[in-house]
Amino acid sequence: MAEQHPSLPRLMIVSSGKEHLSDSSLAMKQALHIARSAQPVIFQLREKSLTASALLQLGHSIATLFNDGESILAINERFDIALAAGARGVHFPESSCPADAARKAVRGLLAGQSAHSEAAALSTASAGLDYLLFGPVFHTPSKAPFGPPQGLERLGKICSKLRIPVFAVGGITPDKVPACIEKGAYGVAALAPFLDTGSLPEVIKHYYSFMPL
Amino acid sequence: MTLPRRLLCVITDEVSYPVTLARMALEGGAGMVQLRKKTASGRELYEWAVRIQELCRQRHALFIINDRVDIALAMHADGVHLGQLDLPASAARALLGPDPLIGVSVSTPEEAVRAAEDRASYIGVGHIFPTFSKDKPSKPLGTSALRTIANAASGLPVIAIGGIDLDNAGEVIRAGATGIAVISAVSGSEDPVSATRDLFNSIRQ
Repeated sequence: MAEQHPSLPRLMIVSSGKEHLSDSSLAMKQALHIARSAQPVIFQLREKSLTASALLQLGHSIATLFNDGESILAINERFDIALAAGARGVHFPESSCPADAARKAVRGLLAGQSAHSEAAALSTASAGLDYLLFGPVFHTPSKAPFGPPQGLERLGKICSKLRIPVFAVGGITPDKVPACIEKGAYGVAALAPFLDTGSLPEVIKHYYSFMPL
Repeated sequence: MTLPRRLLCVITDEVSYPVTLARMALEGGAGMVQLRKKTASGRELYEWAVRIQELCRQRHALFIINDRVDIALAMHADGVHLGQLDLPASAARALLGPDPLIGVSVSTPEEAVRAAEDRASYIGVGHIFPTFSKDKPSKPLGTSALRTIANAASGLPVIAIGGIDLDNAGEVIRAGATGIAVISAVSGSEDPVSATRDLFNSIRQ
Protein backbone atom coordinates (compact mmCIF):
# COMPACT_ATOMS: atom_id res chain seq x y z
CA MET A 1 0.00 0.00 0.00
CA ALA A 2 1.11 3.58 -0.73
CA GLU A 3 3.73 2.15 -3.05
CA GLN A 4 3.23 2.90 -6.74
CA HIS A 5 2.09 -0.02 -8.84
CA PRO A 6 3.09 1.02 -12.34
CA SER A 7 1.75 -2.12 -14.00
CA LEU A 8 -1.61 -2.35 -12.26
CA PRO A 9 -3.80 -4.60 -14.43
CA ARG A 10 -6.99 -3.00 -15.79
CA LEU A 11 -9.11 -6.11 -15.35
CA MET A 12 -10.18 -7.73 -12.08
CA ILE A 13 -11.76 -11.16 -12.00
CA VAL A 14 -13.69 -11.95 -8.82
CA SER A 15 -13.83 -15.62 -7.81
CA SER A 16 -17.18 -17.39 -7.67
CA GLY A 17 -17.63 -17.43 -3.90
CA LYS A 18 -18.69 -21.05 -4.19
CA GLU A 19 -15.54 -22.84 -3.06
CA HIS A 20 -16.03 -25.47 -0.40
CA LEU A 21 -12.87 -27.49 -0.77
CA SER A 22 -9.37 -26.40 -1.54
CA ASP A 23 -8.79 -29.10 -4.15
CA SER A 24 -10.16 -29.47 -7.70
CA SER A 25 -11.68 -26.03 -7.36
CA LEU A 26 -13.13 -23.65 -9.91
CA ALA A 27 -10.88 -20.89 -8.57
CA MET A 28 -7.82 -23.04 -9.25
CA LYS A 29 -8.99 -23.67 -12.84
CA GLN A 30 -9.61 -19.96 -13.34
CA ALA A 31 -6.18 -19.20 -11.92
CA LEU A 32 -4.51 -21.62 -14.34
CA HIS A 33 -6.00 -19.74 -17.30
CA ILE A 34 -5.14 -16.36 -15.78
CA ALA A 35 -1.52 -17.43 -15.21
CA ARG A 36 -1.23 -18.36 -18.90
CA SER A 37 -2.97 -15.19 -20.12
CA ALA A 38 -0.84 -12.68 -22.02
CA GLN A 39 -2.89 -9.90 -20.43
CA PRO A 40 -2.55 -9.32 -16.68
CA VAL A 41 -5.43 -9.73 -14.29
CA ILE A 42 -6.10 -8.99 -10.62
CA PHE A 43 -7.72 -12.18 -9.37
CA GLN A 44 -9.74 -11.44 -6.26
CA LEU A 45 -10.18 -14.60 -4.22
CA ARG A 46 -13.42 -14.04 -2.37
CA GLU A 47 -14.42 -17.31 -0.73
CA LYS A 48 -16.24 -16.62 2.49
CA SER A 49 -17.20 -20.21 3.24
CA LEU A 50 -13.63 -21.54 3.29
CA THR A 51 -11.85 -21.92 6.61
CA ALA A 52 -8.71 -19.83 7.05
CA SER A 53 -6.51 -22.90 6.62
CA ALA A 54 -8.27 -23.96 3.40
CA LEU A 55 -8.09 -20.40 2.06
CA LEU A 56 -4.39 -20.29 2.92
CA GLN A 57 -3.77 -23.50 0.97
CA LEU A 58 -5.76 -22.37 -2.05
CA GLY A 59 -4.20 -18.92 -1.92
CA HIS A 60 -0.72 -20.37 -1.69
CA SER A 61 -1.32 -22.63 -4.70
CA ILE A 62 -2.57 -19.71 -6.79
CA ALA A 63 0.18 -17.36 -5.62
CA THR A 64 2.76 -19.98 -6.61
CA LEU A 65 1.10 -20.32 -10.00
CA PHE A 66 1.17 -16.56 -10.58
CA ASN A 67 4.74 -16.46 -9.33
CA ASP A 68 6.41 -13.34 -10.66
CA GLY A 69 4.08 -12.90 -13.62
CA GLU A 70 2.10 -9.71 -14.10
CA SER A 71 -1.19 -11.06 -12.72
CA ILE A 72 -1.87 -10.37 -9.05
CA LEU A 73 -3.69 -12.52 -6.52
CA ALA A 74 -5.67 -10.36 -4.09
CA ILE A 75 -7.25 -12.13 -1.12
CA ASN A 76 -10.57 -10.70 -0.02
CA GLU A 77 -10.34 -9.01 3.39
CA ARG A 78 -7.90 -11.40 5.12
CA PHE A 79 -4.56 -9.65 4.65
CA ASP A 80 -3.08 -12.04 7.21
CA ILE A 81 -3.84 -14.91 4.84
CA ALA A 82 -2.61 -12.88 1.86
CA LEU A 83 0.73 -12.31 3.58
CA ALA A 84 1.03 -15.93 4.73
CA ALA A 85 0.06 -17.28 1.29
CA GLY A 86 2.48 -15.09 -0.62
CA ALA A 87 -0.33 -13.27 -2.44
CA ARG A 88 0.56 -9.79 -3.69
CA GLY A 89 -2.70 -8.08 -2.84
CA VAL A 90 -5.63 -7.69 -0.46
CA HIS A 91 -9.10 -6.49 -1.33
CA PHE A 92 -11.12 -4.99 1.52
CA PRO A 93 -14.91 -5.23 1.36
CA GLU A 94 -16.82 -2.13 2.42
CA SER A 95 -17.54 -3.71 5.84
CA SER A 96 -13.95 -4.74 6.53
CA CYS A 97 -11.56 -3.74 9.25
CA PRO A 98 -10.81 -0.06 8.40
CA ALA A 99 -8.11 0.10 5.73
CA ASP A 100 -6.32 2.99 7.40
CA ALA A 101 -5.96 0.89 10.57
CA ALA A 102 -4.63 -2.02 8.53
CA ARG A 103 -2.25 0.18 6.54
CA LYS A 104 0.92 -0.56 8.49
CA ALA A 105 0.17 -4.26 8.80
CA VAL A 106 -0.46 -4.90 5.08
CA ARG A 107 3.18 -4.03 4.37
CA GLY A 108 3.94 -4.25 0.65
CA LEU A 109 0.57 -5.64 -0.46
CA LEU A 110 -1.44 -3.99 -3.19
CA ALA A 111 -4.51 -2.88 -1.25
CA GLY A 112 -7.89 -1.91 -2.64
CA GLN A 113 -11.38 -1.53 -1.27
CA SER A 114 -14.98 -1.86 -2.42
CA ALA A 115 -17.39 1.02 -2.07
CA HIS A 116 -21.10 0.77 -2.80
CA SER A 117 -22.07 4.41 -2.33
CA GLU A 118 -20.66 7.84 -3.07
CA ALA A 119 -20.13 8.54 0.64
CA ALA A 120 -18.27 5.27 1.18
CA ALA A 121 -16.13 5.89 -1.90
CA LEU A 122 -15.12 9.40 -0.86
CA SER A 123 -14.44 8.30 2.72
CA THR A 124 -11.59 6.11 1.46
CA ALA A 125 -9.67 9.11 0.11
CA SER A 126 -7.32 9.29 3.09
CA ALA A 127 -6.97 5.55 3.70
CA GLY A 128 -3.85 5.17 1.60
CA LEU A 129 -5.41 2.65 -0.78
CA ASP A 130 -3.95 1.67 -4.14
CA TYR A 131 -7.30 1.47 -5.90
CA LEU A 132 -11.04 1.62 -5.32
CA LEU A 133 -13.69 -0.75 -6.65
CA PHE A 134 -16.92 1.16 -7.18
CA GLY A 135 -20.35 -0.18 -7.95
CA PRO A 136 -22.65 -1.73 -8.79
CA VAL A 137 -22.56 0.61 -11.79
CA PHE A 138 -25.17 -1.41 -13.68
CA HIS A 139 -27.67 -3.99 -12.50
CA THR A 140 -26.32 -7.49 -11.88
CA PRO A 141 -27.69 -10.37 -9.82
CA SER A 142 -24.40 -10.99 -7.98
CA LYS A 143 -24.13 -7.38 -6.84
CA ALA A 144 -27.83 -6.85 -6.07
CA PRO A 145 -27.22 -7.28 -2.31
CA PHE A 146 -25.00 -4.18 -2.48
CA GLY A 147 -27.91 -1.92 -3.36
CA PRO A 148 -29.37 -0.30 -6.48
CA PRO A 149 -27.08 0.49 -9.43
CA GLN A 150 -24.99 3.61 -8.89
CA GLY A 151 -24.91 4.53 -12.59
CA LEU A 152 -22.27 5.98 -14.91
CA GLU A 153 -22.73 9.58 -13.80
CA ARG A 154 -21.85 8.77 -10.19
CA LEU A 155 -18.93 6.65 -11.37
CA GLY A 156 -17.64 9.72 -13.21
CA LYS A 157 -18.03 11.89 -10.13
CA ILE A 158 -16.10 9.40 -7.96
CA CYS A 159 -13.33 9.11 -10.55
CA SER A 160 -12.93 12.89 -10.75
CA LYS A 161 -12.74 13.27 -6.96
CA LEU A 162 -10.34 10.43 -6.11
CA ARG A 163 -6.66 10.38 -6.97
CA ILE A 164 -6.39 6.59 -7.06
CA PRO A 165 -7.37 4.22 -9.90
CA VAL A 166 -11.07 3.33 -9.81
CA PHE A 167 -12.42 0.02 -11.10
CA ALA A 168 -16.07 -0.12 -12.14
CA VAL A 169 -17.98 -3.23 -11.06
CA GLY A 170 -21.52 -4.50 -11.49
CA GLY A 171 -22.93 -5.62 -14.84
CA ILE A 172 -19.82 -4.57 -16.76
CA THR A 173 -19.96 -6.64 -19.93
CA PRO A 174 -17.11 -6.00 -22.41
CA ASP A 175 -19.24 -3.63 -24.50
CA LYS A 176 -19.77 -1.42 -21.44
CA VAL A 177 -16.04 -0.97 -20.81
CA PRO A 178 -15.61 2.10 -23.06
CA ALA A 179 -18.38 4.03 -21.27
CA CYS A 180 -16.69 3.35 -17.90
CA ILE A 181 -13.26 4.34 -19.19
CA GLU A 182 -14.75 7.52 -20.67
CA LYS A 183 -16.05 8.40 -17.20
CA GLY A 184 -12.55 8.13 -15.81
CA ALA A 185 -12.44 4.51 -14.62
CA TYR A 186 -9.01 2.90 -14.73
CA GLY A 187 -10.41 -0.57 -15.27
CA VAL A 188 -13.30 -2.91 -14.59
CA ALA A 189 -14.12 -5.94 -12.47
CA ALA A 190 -16.52 -8.82 -13.10
CA LEU A 191 -17.43 -12.26 -11.81
CA ALA A 192 -20.07 -14.02 -13.93
CA PRO A 193 -18.41 -13.69 -17.39
CA PHE A 194 -15.43 -15.69 -16.11
CA LEU A 195 -17.24 -18.65 -14.58
CA ASP A 196 -16.99 -20.72 -17.78
CA THR A 197 -13.33 -21.64 -17.70
CA GLY A 198 -13.47 -22.95 -21.30
CA SER A 199 -14.05 -19.46 -22.64
CA LEU A 200 -12.07 -17.59 -19.96
CA PRO A 201 -8.97 -16.80 -22.08
CA GLU A 202 -11.16 -15.41 -24.90
CA VAL A 203 -13.24 -13.36 -22.47
CA ILE A 204 -10.11 -11.76 -20.99
CA LYS A 205 -9.00 -10.81 -24.52
CA HIS A 206 -12.47 -9.49 -25.31
CA TYR A 207 -12.41 -7.20 -22.26
CA TYR A 208 -8.93 -5.96 -23.07
CA SER A 209 -9.94 -5.18 -26.66
CA PHE A 210 -12.07 -2.36 -25.18
CA MET A 211 -9.37 -1.07 -22.82
CA PRO A 212 -6.96 1.82 -23.45
CA LEU A 213 -3.45 0.67 -24.27
CA MET B 1 3.58 -11.72 26.90
CA THR B 2 2.81 -14.34 29.53
CA LEU B 3 -0.26 -15.78 31.16
CA PRO B 4 -1.00 -15.31 34.85
CA ARG B 5 -0.54 -18.32 37.13
CA ARG B 6 -4.30 -19.04 37.25
CA LEU B 7 -6.36 -17.82 34.35
CA LEU B 8 -10.05 -17.53 33.68
CA CYS B 9 -10.73 -16.71 30.04
CA VAL B 10 -14.24 -15.59 29.13
CA ILE B 11 -15.16 -16.08 25.47
CA THR B 12 -17.93 -14.04 23.89
CA ASP B 13 -20.93 -15.94 22.53
CA GLU B 14 -22.84 -15.39 19.29
CA VAL B 15 -25.82 -13.56 20.81
CA SER B 16 -24.60 -11.18 23.53
CA TYR B 17 -23.24 -7.73 22.72
CA PRO B 18 -19.54 -8.50 23.13
CA VAL B 19 -18.47 -5.21 24.72
CA THR B 20 -21.10 -5.46 27.46
CA LEU B 21 -20.28 -9.09 28.12
CA ALA B 22 -16.58 -8.28 28.30
CA ARG B 23 -17.23 -5.45 30.74
CA MET B 24 -19.12 -7.79 33.06
CA ALA B 25 -16.53 -10.57 32.77
CA LEU B 26 -13.76 -8.13 33.67
CA GLU B 27 -15.74 -6.82 36.59
CA GLY B 28 -16.00 -10.39 37.81
CA GLY B 29 -12.25 -10.86 37.59
CA ALA B 30 -11.66 -12.55 34.25
CA GLY B 31 -7.94 -12.46 33.40
CA MET B 32 -8.55 -12.77 29.68
CA VAL B 33 -11.32 -11.97 27.24
CA GLN B 34 -11.51 -13.72 23.88
CA LEU B 35 -13.60 -12.04 21.19
CA ARG B 36 -15.23 -14.74 19.11
CA LYS B 37 -18.15 -13.98 16.83
CA LYS B 38 -18.15 -15.90 13.58
CA THR B 39 -21.06 -13.96 12.05
CA ALA B 40 -19.66 -10.45 12.57
CA SER B 41 -18.13 -8.29 9.84
CA GLY B 42 -14.48 -7.28 9.96
CA ARG B 43 -15.46 -3.73 10.83
CA GLU B 44 -17.63 -4.82 13.76
CA LEU B 45 -14.89 -7.09 15.06
CA TYR B 46 -12.32 -4.32 14.78
CA GLU B 47 -14.47 -1.79 16.60
CA TRP B 48 -15.42 -4.22 19.39
CA ALA B 49 -11.81 -5.38 19.69
CA VAL B 50 -10.51 -1.83 20.19
CA ARG B 51 -13.09 -1.15 22.89
CA ILE B 52 -12.69 -4.49 24.68
CA GLN B 53 -8.91 -4.24 24.67
CA GLU B 54 -9.19 -0.80 26.28
CA LEU B 55 -11.44 -2.28 29.01
CA CYS B 56 -8.96 -5.11 29.49
CA ARG B 57 -6.07 -2.66 29.89
CA GLN B 58 -7.95 -0.86 32.66
CA ARG B 59 -8.26 -4.16 34.53
CA HIS B 60 -4.78 -5.48 33.68
CA ALA B 61 -6.41 -8.33 31.78
CA LEU B 62 -5.43 -9.80 28.42
CA PHE B 63 -7.38 -9.43 25.19
CA ILE B 64 -7.26 -11.95 22.39
CA ILE B 65 -9.31 -12.49 19.25
CA ASN B 66 -10.43 -15.79 17.78
CA ASP B 67 -9.18 -16.73 14.29
CA ARG B 68 -8.72 -13.19 12.93
CA VAL B 69 -4.99 -12.54 12.88
CA ASP B 70 -5.72 -9.63 10.50
CA ILE B 71 -7.80 -7.81 13.11
CA ALA B 72 -5.21 -8.58 15.81
CA LEU B 73 -2.51 -7.03 13.61
CA ALA B 74 -4.60 -3.95 12.82
CA MET B 75 -5.44 -3.12 16.46
CA HIS B 76 -2.41 -4.66 18.20
CA ALA B 77 -4.30 -7.21 20.25
CA ASP B 78 -2.51 -9.04 23.03
CA GLY B 79 -2.96 -12.17 20.98
CA VAL B 80 -5.06 -14.58 18.95
CA HIS B 81 -6.66 -17.93 19.53
CA LEU B 82 -6.53 -20.38 16.65
CA GLY B 83 -8.54 -23.52 15.98
CA GLN B 84 -7.20 -26.40 13.95
CA LEU B 85 -8.94 -25.01 10.83
CA ASP B 86 -7.62 -21.47 11.27
CA LEU B 87 -4.21 -20.18 10.21
CA PRO B 88 -1.44 -22.48 11.47
CA ALA B 89 0.27 -21.10 14.58
CA SER B 90 3.60 -21.02 12.74
CA ALA B 91 2.14 -18.67 10.09
CA ALA B 92 0.48 -16.53 12.75
CA ARG B 93 3.76 -16.33 14.68
CA ALA B 94 5.61 -15.19 11.56
CA LEU B 95 3.06 -12.40 11.09
CA LEU B 96 2.65 -11.32 14.71
CA GLY B 97 6.26 -11.52 15.85
CA PRO B 98 7.59 -13.03 19.07
CA ASP B 99 5.58 -11.16 21.67
CA PRO B 100 1.80 -11.58 21.12
CA LEU B 101 0.01 -14.55 22.64
CA ILE B 102 -0.97 -17.37 20.32
CA GLY B 103 -3.32 -19.98 21.70
CA VAL B 104 -4.10 -23.15 19.77
CA SER B 105 -7.07 -25.45 20.26
CA VAL B 106 -5.95 -29.06 20.56
CA SER B 107 -7.67 -32.32 21.41
CA THR B 108 -4.80 -34.83 21.07
CA PRO B 109 -1.24 -35.09 22.39
CA GLU B 110 0.03 -34.88 18.76
CA GLU B 111 -1.71 -31.55 18.23
CA ALA B 112 -0.23 -30.33 21.51
CA VAL B 113 3.31 -31.24 20.40
CA ARG B 114 2.71 -29.52 17.07
CA ALA B 115 1.44 -26.37 18.80
CA ALA B 116 4.62 -26.23 20.92
CA GLU B 117 6.78 -26.69 17.80
CA ASP B 118 4.81 -23.90 16.08
CA ARG B 119 5.68 -21.54 18.94
CA ALA B 120 2.21 -21.29 20.43
CA SER B 121 2.02 -19.49 23.78
CA TYR B 122 -0.58 -21.83 25.29
CA ILE B 123 -2.93 -24.60 24.26
CA GLY B 124 -6.67 -24.70 24.71
CA VAL B 125 -7.67 -28.29 25.41
CA GLY B 126 -11.22 -29.47 24.96
CA HIS B 127 -13.87 -30.12 25.12
CA ILE B 128 -13.38 -31.68 28.54
CA PHE B 129 -17.05 -32.17 29.51
CA PRO B 130 -20.27 -32.25 27.47
CA THR B 131 -21.19 -28.80 26.18
CA PHE B 132 -23.86 -27.17 24.06
CA SER B 133 -21.94 -23.99 23.24
CA LYS B 134 -20.48 -25.32 20.00
CA ASP B 135 -21.33 -28.15 17.63
CA LYS B 136 -19.25 -31.00 18.93
CA PRO B 137 -19.38 -34.22 16.94
CA SER B 138 -16.65 -35.77 19.09
CA LYS B 139 -16.94 -37.15 22.63
CA PRO B 140 -15.76 -35.13 25.63
CA LEU B 141 -12.09 -35.74 26.45
CA GLY B 142 -12.46 -36.07 30.21
CA THR B 143 -9.78 -35.11 32.72
CA SER B 144 -7.47 -38.10 32.21
CA ALA B 145 -6.97 -37.22 28.52
CA LEU B 146 -6.49 -33.61 29.63
CA ARG B 147 -3.64 -34.79 31.87
CA THR B 148 -2.05 -36.77 29.01
CA ILE B 149 -2.25 -33.80 26.65
CA ALA B 150 -0.91 -31.41 29.30
CA ASN B 151 2.09 -33.73 29.78
CA ALA B 152 2.74 -33.73 26.02
CA ALA B 153 2.68 -29.94 25.76
CA SER B 154 6.34 -29.36 26.72
CA GLY B 155 5.46 -27.06 29.57
CA LEU B 156 3.08 -24.85 27.58
CA PRO B 157 0.29 -23.47 29.75
CA VAL B 158 -2.94 -25.44 29.33
CA ILE B 159 -6.34 -23.80 29.30
CA ALA B 160 -9.16 -26.31 29.62
CA ILE B 161 -12.45 -25.62 27.82
CA GLY B 162 -15.81 -27.26 27.33
CA GLY B 163 -18.56 -27.76 29.89
CA ILE B 164 -16.53 -26.36 32.77
CA ASP B 165 -18.57 -25.11 35.72
CA LEU B 166 -18.24 -24.51 39.44
CA ASP B 167 -18.57 -28.21 40.20
CA ASN B 168 -15.77 -29.47 37.97
CA ALA B 169 -13.36 -26.50 37.67
CA GLY B 170 -11.18 -27.73 40.53
CA GLU B 171 -10.92 -31.15 38.90
CA VAL B 172 -9.44 -29.74 35.65
CA ILE B 173 -6.90 -27.66 37.58
CA ARG B 174 -5.81 -30.79 39.49
CA ALA B 175 -5.44 -32.56 36.13
CA GLY B 176 -2.77 -30.05 35.12
CA ALA B 177 -4.64 -27.10 33.59
CA THR B 178 -3.30 -23.61 34.20
CA GLY B 179 -6.70 -22.14 33.71
CA ILE B 180 -10.13 -22.51 32.21
CA ALA B 181 -12.08 -20.92 29.36
CA VAL B 182 -15.83 -20.64 29.38
CA ILE B 183 -18.53 -19.40 27.04
CA SER B 184 -22.04 -20.22 28.24
CA ALA B 185 -21.12 -20.52 31.94
CA VAL B 186 -20.78 -16.72 31.87
CA SER B 187 -22.68 -15.49 28.79
CA GLY B 188 -25.65 -17.75 29.55
CA SER B 189 -25.80 -16.76 33.20
CA GLU B 190 -28.40 -14.35 34.54
CA ASP B 191 -25.59 -12.66 36.46
CA PRO B 192 -22.39 -12.84 34.40
CA VAL B 193 -20.40 -10.78 36.92
CA SER B 194 -21.08 -13.17 39.78
CA ALA B 195 -20.71 -16.22 37.52
CA THR B 196 -17.25 -15.02 36.53
CA ARG B 197 -16.27 -14.20 40.11
CA ASP B 198 -17.41 -17.60 41.43
CA LEU B 199 -15.57 -19.46 38.67
CA PHE B 200 -12.40 -17.53 39.25
CA ASN B 201 -12.56 -18.16 42.99
CA SER B 202 -12.96 -21.86 42.31
CA ILE B 203 -9.64 -22.06 40.47
CA ARG B 204 -7.48 -19.46 42.19
CA GLN B 205 -6.33 -21.59 45.13
